[in-house]
Amino acid sequence: MGKPKIGIYGLTGCAGDQLNILNCEDELLKIFDIFEVKSFVMASRAKDESVPLDVAFVEGSVSTEKDLEELKKVREKSRILVAIGHCAVFGGVQSMYMGCEAWMERYKKVYGKEDAVTISPPLEPRPLSAYVKVDAVLPGCPIEKEPFLKMAGLLAQGVIPKNPDYPVCAECKWKENECLLLKGEMCLGPITNSGCGAICPSHNIGCIGCWGPIEEENFAAGIALLESKGYTLDAVIKRFSIFGGTERGEKLAKYIESVKGGCNG
Amino acid sequence: MKERVDILKCEVHEEENPYVPERARIIRKYDLTNDVRFFQVRLCNHEKVMEWTTKYKPGQFMMLSIPNVGEAPFSITSTPTRPGIFEFCIRKVGRLTGKLFELRENDFVWLRGPFGNGFPVEKMRGKDLLFVAGGLGAAPLRSVLLYALDYRERFGKIYYLYGAKNPDEMLFKDEFFGMKERQDFDCYLTVDSDPTGEWPYDIGVVTTLFKYVKDIDVENTVAVVCGPPVMYKFVVQEFMKLGIHEENIYMTLERKMKCGMGKCGQCVVGHKYTCIDGPVFTLWDVKTIRNLI
Amino acid sequence: MRVFKMEKGNLVPFLRSLEEFGEVWGPVKKGNSFVYAHEDPEKFDLSAIRTLIPAKKFFLPKVATILKFKNGAWTDNRECKKRVIFGLHPCDLHALNIYHEFYTRIYEDPYYTSNREATLIIGLSCLPDDNCFCNLTDTSTIEEGFDLFFTELDDKFLVWVGSPRGDEVLAKRKDMVEDITQNDIKEYIEWRKKREKMFKVDLSFTGLPEIVSASYDSDIWDKMGAACLSCGTCTMVCPSCTCFDVEDEYDIRNDELNRKRKWYSCFFREYSMVAGGHNFREARAERLRLWYTHKLVGFMSEYGEPACVGCGRCVVSCPVGINVLSVVRALTGEKNDAFWAKTEVKQL
Repeated sequence: MGKPKIGIYGLTGCAGDQLNILNCEDELLKIFDIFEVKSFVMASRAKDESVPLDVAFVEGSVSTEKDLEELKKVREKSRILVAIGHCAVFGGVQSMYMGCEAWMERYKKVYGKEDAVTISPPLEPRPLSAYVKVDAVLPGCPIEKEPFLKMAGLLAQGVIPKNPDYPVCAECKWKENECLLLKGEMCLGPITNSGCGAICPSHNIGCIGCWGPIEEENFAAGIALLESKGYTLDAVIKRFSIFGGTERGEKLAKYIESVKGGCNG
Repeated sequence: MKERVDILKCEVHEEENPYVPERARIIRKYDLTNDVRFFQVRLCNHEKVMEWTTKYKPGQFMMLSIPNVGEAPFSITSTPTRPGIFEFCIRKVGRLTGKLFELRENDFVWLRGPFGNGFPVEKMRGKDLLFVAGGLGAAPLRSVLLYALDYRERFGKIYYLYGAKNPDEMLFKDEFFGMKERQDFDCYLTVDSDPTGEWPYDIGVVTTLFKYVKDIDVENTVAVVCGPPVMYKFVVQEFMKLGIHEENIYMTLERKMKCGMGKCGQCVVGHKYTCIDGPVFTLWDVKTIRNLI
Repeated sequence: MRVFKMEKGNLVPFLRSLEEFGEVWGPVKKGNSFVYAHEDPEKFDLSAIRTLIPAKKFFLPKVATILKFKNGAWTDNRECKKRVIFGLHPCDLHALNIYHEFYTRIYEDPYYTSNREATLIIGLSCLPDDNCFCNLTDTSTIEEGFDLFFTELDDKFLVWVGSPRGDEVLAKRKDMVEDITQNDIKEYIEWRKKREKMFKVDLSFTGLPEIVSASYDSDIWDKMGAACLSCGTCTMVCPSCTCFDVEDEYDIRNDELNRKRKWYSCFFREYSMVAGGHNFREARAERLRLWYTHKLVGFMSEYGEPACVGCGRCVVSCPVGINVLSVVRALTGEKNDAFWAKTEVKQL
């Protein structure tokens, strides 16, 4: 068995996840040693798109027809597709729920008219999983070095990694931090996927949720808790929305409708 | 008083660590159904082969590891009366089993155990035995069935009722077909439906086989049921109709386990740890410990 | 039990002298809370009521590599570290005794045992705050499970000797302790009386196992389940919580596979979920009920005492106010203004 062939790709996003892979300076040689890197445009112009891949890492959300086309191509030739970064896993900040208006209305507000951008027809930003089968995910905005290396290690061994399914609070307790929520700070720890090592709360900054909503988020209780700390519903919903992605956005919309009886514009 | 230099001990005796798995070789494997595979494995350490394969009880389980993927419990489907190997019937359902299905003969897996209470084979001595299996439940049940047949003289009447969805879903078909020929116990097989049209035995759910159960001494009968949880209720009703006491009705349950030794907690139900207090429970346990099935 | 007295000024030199056995850890201030840390004993804060994370972290580390796999074989990776831990209160020691019984029964957990054998345990008395209720759980005093135990009186410590190891440690430092007098005993009795009067939580734990058992179908669990964030905080801070998860991690830097065990919680969704996706405790309410029934009933059946030691950590840690006290109050029909009771959380 030869070395696993991998490709690292980017759709619409800031490319910060690819950059963080490049930032694994001490381990980069090791990565290039255990994998045969076929495509990583950020690192090298030399690429070979003709061979099937064992693993494709894709960052960014699907925001244009071109993104979608590229994603489908990558999916087709890859045995394992890994979504890296919040954009690819949940849709990114660009997919946040901003109101009840249709997406095109929002688009027009920003760009002035419907066909303002001409490179490729735009799509409402969505995570990869909205279009293709995703075998593994590594959330974070951007992704972190240690979780990436951990994931790369298992993938090199031919195993599809699985992320923990519990909130940031667990790792925050392991760090022996004082709870920010108890101090009245806005912190999304209880409803956000762990894996980051509770970096922000460990620096006294409330979690903003960049690892995305946990599978079983009790955001109704989360909202109630933050409201009890004196935050307005609007403030809470804004914070929830930033990294809420498409799915939480839809749930939030339903929630807002049920409590406010209308649209959160 | 003579002073001890080192008051605090820091010694590691590796041989005492029950978390360290032993390497075993897959010596045989074949498909029992489209998603259930039979694995026969043998420990690589010859000195441990006989010790390990004669001392377990039917109904116990082993923790099986595949490096990088992890570890999970699997009930032993072989019997200690036929030592030398361990046999498992494994359905492909998750990450670990998915990887296991990629392995070939002569590949390695890692084992530790046996764990769990197992069936009360000593208590069963001299009793009539009524075994009822459904689907994959035949895997743990086969162990105690073969055990009872190998020690045939120790038990009274033996009934084995086994139901599968259809002929293709029946485990160990050839083996059970062969058993039907035996005169010293009663084996009845059924399928819920038969799309092949070639099924030679009963058609219907497993409870329909109870009509064949005759002349058992209910005061002295041990009943065992293994299968999907949905089946338990109906089979238990049949046991009750026959008049078998709830402390003599046994079932084996499935839970997530990470240690097998009552530590990790993930198999806990009420105050029972399925890995040490089970996986074999009586109907009485099931009624008292809520949430068991 | 053998008991001596020690002048207050001798404590720091005494603790410093213990570095010869291993790292000396004790409670130090972090923000408005306390954590066990390896610092100079002068920094140890004797007023620390409860540390954020209990001393279980020394015996079941939050994350630890238990096995390594290299070149086709698994090897034991016990990393035993010699430590002296100072500052465990009676509740902490009771919890540690539960840990000991749990981790040595039927199968002895070698990682636990190694850690325990390598640790010298020095208890310290305490005066309760508003959230302490060890008097209700019968864990306010301690007779065993420590090597030495310090009771802090006005101008001295009484030093109780709880093990041969503790005896040897003290024998080597005879010049730091003195024999006690009748007067010291009197002072101690006065101190006990004062301490007993300081407990504020007004609640009865009598007959609790039966009440919890009988409340299996109560709607209280659903109400609290709706408010629970299943963040696992209560289980992480609980000194008698023992659950862990095991996971393989491949380290590309050293080309080796590490089998790690990590603290885990019965509040997490995948706790009772088996391969294939069936979850034996799908609803948060069921998981919440499991924790409380296991603590308050399960341990009772298994060990003859509940696993709650009254330390108050869940009381001060749960962001939504679900804790042993609010649950017991709800189950025993006492009205209390816990968060979950005043706010009906609207679910989708």
